[in-house]
Amino acid sequence: METLFNTEINKKLNEAEFEALLQEFKTDYNQTHFVRNKEFKEAADKLQGPLRQIFVEFLERSCTAEFSGFLLYKELGRRLKIMKMNLLQKTNPVVAEIFSLMSRDEARHAGFLNKGLSDFNLALDLGFLTKARKYTFFKPKFIFYATYLSEKIGYWRYITIYRHLKENPEYQCYPIFNYFENWCQDENRHGDFFSALMKAQPQFLNDWKAKLWSRFFCLSVYVTMYLNDCQRTAFYEGIGLNTKEFDMHVIIETNRTTARIFPAVLDVENPEFKRKLDRMVEINQKLIAVGESDDIPVVKNLKRIPIVAALASELLAAYLMPPIESGSVDFADFETQLVY
Amino acid sequence: MSAVATLGQACWAAAAVKSKPTTAISQTHIRNPKPKSLSLPLSANSSCNHFFSFPPKTTLKSSSSSSSSSVRTSVAAVDSDQLSSSDSADKEKPSRYYFVVANAKFMLDDEEHFQEQLCERLRYYGEKNKEQDFWLVIEPKFLDKFPNITKRLGRPAVALVSTNGPWITFMKLRLDRVLAESFEAASLEEALASNPTKIEFEKPQKWVAPYSKYESGWWEPFLPPGSKEEVKA
Repeated sequence: METLFNTEINKKLNEAEFEALLQEFKTDYNQTHFVRNKEFKEAADKLQGPLRQIFVEFLERSCTAEFSGFLLYKELGRRLKIMKMNLLQKTNPVVAEIFSLMSRDEARHAGFLNKGLSDFNLALDLGFLTKARKYTFFKPKFIFYATYLSEKIGYWRYITIYRHLKENPEYQCYPIFNYFENWCQDENRHGDFFSALMKAQPQFLNDWKAKLWSRFFCLSVYVTMYLNDCQRTAFYEGIGLNTKEFDMHVIIETNRTTARIFPAVLDVENPEFKRKLDRMVEINQKLIAVGESDDIPVVKNLKRIPIVAALASELLAAYLMPPIESGSVDFADFETQLVY
Repeated sequence: MSAVATLGQACWAAAAVKSKPTTAISQTHIRNPKPKSLSLPLSANSSCNHFFSFPPKTTLKSSSSSSSSSVRTSVAAVDSDQLSSSDSADKEKPSRYYFVVANAKFMLDDEEHFQEQLCERLRYYGEKNKEQDFWLVIEPKFLDKFPNITKRLGRPAVALVSTNGPWITFMKLRLDRVLAESFEAASLEEALASNPTKIEFEKPQKWVAPYSKYESGWWEPFLPPGSKEEVKA
């Protein structure tokens, strides 16, 4: 991490792009956006039965995710500032400041979700999360690919839910979704920052290894979301969405966005890709069924072996599907495909 | 692709970040995807303390040169006495306009989130009582000055134009599949002049999103003042 943002070692950090991002983050479009009203509590009180439980779980998961983002960005911003203070390293102050401003956004989102939980008479102990968090520092490139994808997929999920509910207000059962349009613009900008970081590190984007990693991270993120959401169809159906259609839309849009930076992406619009995802859902359900059975642990593990092997083989097959060459115009050697 | 290529990427708006007088700044463009070598005056950008006080009316003069392997637009000098008057809202003074451009289909029809960003920015300007400094220009006249862009550009074209250079740099990063440049114009009217063009898009054959597409014409609030009436008429 140190060398990446060291202005002496890495002279390629594109100053203009980072300065532009800093201006955009300092603008702080959503400074006054996250203000609650009394509709929250009223809506929460009306939510009863199974949907109430599903909502609580949704708020908890979202809050934890946003808070993890806050911790990660805060920590990275802090580390870069410390290096700067030690004067041993000439790290890029702009990059450090952007990390801090992104942690501001994530903290705001997490806090807003946590207040939502209070409508249900619950609260997450975020202090506990901070202490309990294990800092596993992945190699930066893994952070870059994975965080880029999670920010962009977050944007597409939120905007899709927002636009769907705007047209179908009868499913608008809790006012938090009204805030999603402005909210997800933050996520989108965070993604852009990782885009700029990767552009400043062409080794993440320009060779066959980068292409393999890109495909790997796309697949991991898409499959994880699809399998997770298919276990929680009640939530999506509760707000009037078809879970699989919603997920495929989000995957296709995220993949199109990602193709503007990753050197290769998956051919998710090929119907075979969705068929593979659906088979993975079935296999995953078998796996869950084994876990919930009354067998003794040894038997469970034995039963799991063929199922896990089947899942692995589906994953591998999806990974090996012919990819789509992609990337930023700034690196492009595929001019003919580009839209101007 | 060599690391060298990165050096040249999108540093075109570097000129925007300086408010020191008499500084030479290179704006480098990759038009050729595989430039043999590019040099970047990073030192010129390294101290950006004045970045946020960048006056949008800063006057830059530019000249263009091109080489066989890569085309560079370059060397802008900032004139100190022009800078001193830059804070005044004198519309007679020439200003620098930055833009990204692509074909209309991409800008107004395919790129759904582009609309959200423009609305967000307009909302923000309204909240802060800030005068609008960005516009969408359909078939802008200034494109005639950029043969290197027009030869690659699908028509009709739409440009996002702003006096805020760093914001356009950001929009280039976001949209990616657009071409970026800047020019000088004596007045807002001159800068945003456009050729009348009718914009229509076919309804997408396959629309699987769980919501409908943004209404055609969403871009009208962002067209330059004056052209809105034309559209209606």
